[in-house]
Amino acid sequence: MTAPVHSAGRWCLASWRSVRLGYQRLHQTQASGRETHFGFQTVSEEEKGERVYHVFESVAKNYDVMNDSMSLGIHRLWKDWLIRHMKPTPGTQLLDVAGGTGDVSFRFINYIRAQREKLYRDKLDSQETLSWSDISKSYSNKDQGSLMGSHAVICDINKEMLKVGKEKSLQLGYSEGLSWVAGDAEELPFADEKFDVYTIAFGIRNVTHIDKALEEAHRVLKPGGRFLCLEFSQVTNPLLARLYDLYSFQVIPVLGQVIAGDWKSYQYLVESIRRFPPQEEFKEMIEDAGFFKVTYHNLTSGVVSVHSGFKL
Amino acid sequence: MSLSLLPLPACEMAAVALRSLSVAGGRRFLLLCGRRQAARIQPLWYSARTLWVTSAVRSGDQKTPPPFPDVSHSDSAGEQSTSPPRYTDQGGEESEGYESEEQLQERILSAALTFVPEYGWSSEAIAEGAKSLDLSAAAAGMFENGGSELVLHFVALCNRNLTELLEQEHKLVQLGSAEKKPTAQFLRDAVEARLRMYIPYVGQWPQAMGILLLPHNIPSSLKLLTDMVDDIWHYANDQSTDVSWYTRRAVLAGIYNTTELVMMQDKSPDYEDTWTFLHSRISEAMTMGDSVKQVAATGEAVIQGLMGAAVTLKNLTGLNQRR
Repeated sequence: MTAPVHSAGRWCLASWRSVRLGYQRLHQTQASGRETHFGFQTVSEEEKGERVYHVFESVAKNYDVMNDSMSLGIHRLWKDWLIRHMKPTPGTQLLDVAGGTGDVSFRFINYIRAQREKLYRDKLDSQETLSWSDISKSYSNKDQGSLMGSHAVICDINKEMLKVGKEKSLQLGYSEGLSWVAGDAEELPFADEKFDVYTIAFGIRNVTHIDKALEEAHRVLKPGGRFLCLEFSQVTNPLLARLYDLYSFQVIPVLGQVIAGDWKSYQYLVESIRRFPPQEEFKEMIEDAGFFKVTYHNLTSGVVSVHSGFKL
Repeated sequence: MSLSLLPLPACEMAAVALRSLSVAGGRRFLLLCGRRQAARIQPLWYSARTLWVTSAVRSGDQKTPPPFPDVSHSDSAGEQSTSPPRYTDQGGEESEGYESEEQLQERILSAALTFVPEYGWSSEAIAEGAKSLDLSAAAAGMFENGGSELVLHFVALCNRNLTELLEQEHKLVQLGSAEKKPTAQFLRDAVEARLRMYIPYVGQWPQAMGILLLPHNIPSSLKLLTDMVDDIWHYANDQSTDVSWYTRRAVLAGIYNTTELVMMQDKSPDYEDTWTFLHSRISEAMTMGDSVKQVAATGEAVIQGLMGAAVTLKNLTGLNQRR
């Protein structure tokens, strides 16, 4: 057990030093066309898709445990923040791309339920003296649908992740308002102008053609719909950036090996984060896809950032 | 109340600039230019307001409500979707399809006003407004502090409508088709017209006042208040370039704010009590202004008398002799 960890650790140090080099290589590979990056390696585009698929196939079972241990549970706060930022109203149709284990969608459903309760309470406050018929009517309304037409579609290319997510939803007792669809973010299996909100949380950096995925997002959104992307980004504080790099390259693959028994997948995870364009660059990409009023918020000094844009 | 005194240093610069312009008569020209343009792209508004102004001028004190849609009577969704939002800034034909982000945002906020009586000054109202424009409710996310932006938008809109109203009245006076009102009556009518714009939202207005006083909204809400007071004084033909420039504005802002508070409590038909209150506050302010003037005049006379006495004394005692 110790020997492979040790040797891989050394390899990891080397790769940590080549972080900057990695950025340069990124631009070279983009220029050459058919090739792309898989972490810090250069692979063909088809191979990237396959390899990403295998990575998530192998991490699916331990995905949630690993998220908690790697981010010290902070990923929950990030996702909570995303939903609070979204402020979905009852009736919102959500498309949660790369939403594998359903974290974002479950939060969305919870938020909608809370919103509905609030609306219901406000209504009761405003009409203090209710007749019996009103009360019975309100109860029958309540039974009609606790989500008031809201629906979340979870779309993930990886069937393993979807399977884990479905099991989780049964465990947690989410019975309605969720659908699970296997589909590619670059070719979404949905008609135009179907959704109010498109979210992609920690997924877009694994997509081979980010620009295509953004165009698809634009296509499926209704006019006025919102694109939201939660993704690892560039840490702005230089001191924290050093610590963060150290943590990602020295601790995360080790954690991956110890908890999930999978070094390579987590090595890829860390490398792919470094390969993802920084906030401003990604913002421009979103604007190029046709979104308006594109903004981003850095969370935890830019460890992750939330990009938001509107289709107008 | 005390807030109304705060912006004064802030407007000092603008005041200096305006004062120098007004010497050359340029101030009015500038303002007129800006407003005429606004009026041209709002043909619907324009005619409605002309009607109101003329009728108001003719019938003196008896007022018809300002041309705000009576929200309480237009609850049906069908009516909203067919009639274009009446608050829009952009005229339609030529700008359609090419409207900027800001214009669309204004359009959403204006549409949201219809839903304020039901949802309050909230992002829910904005979401409903967006829906009524055939946009996704998620578009409400464009306004990060939803309620605040909605209230500020509404206040700015009311200010704009008031200035256009005053502008119309001013033109009528210039053309000679209407009598020039005495300052007190002019101020009373202007403040009343402004406050009447809140009537459709009176149930939600306390909430809006609270929102306007949130720390992060204070700069914008103060600016809107001072702008409005400035405009009223401008059309009241205030030419002062001394300290009274500040006191006039502070006093009017104070009267406006207290009357607003009275209006929130007022249960009398057509807010009679509020207008009586407004009337007495304005006459008080006017008499106060007069007595200040009188005191100043008396003071000057006394000082002159004293100076004369001093010179006489000097002469008598021979101190004034030059040798």
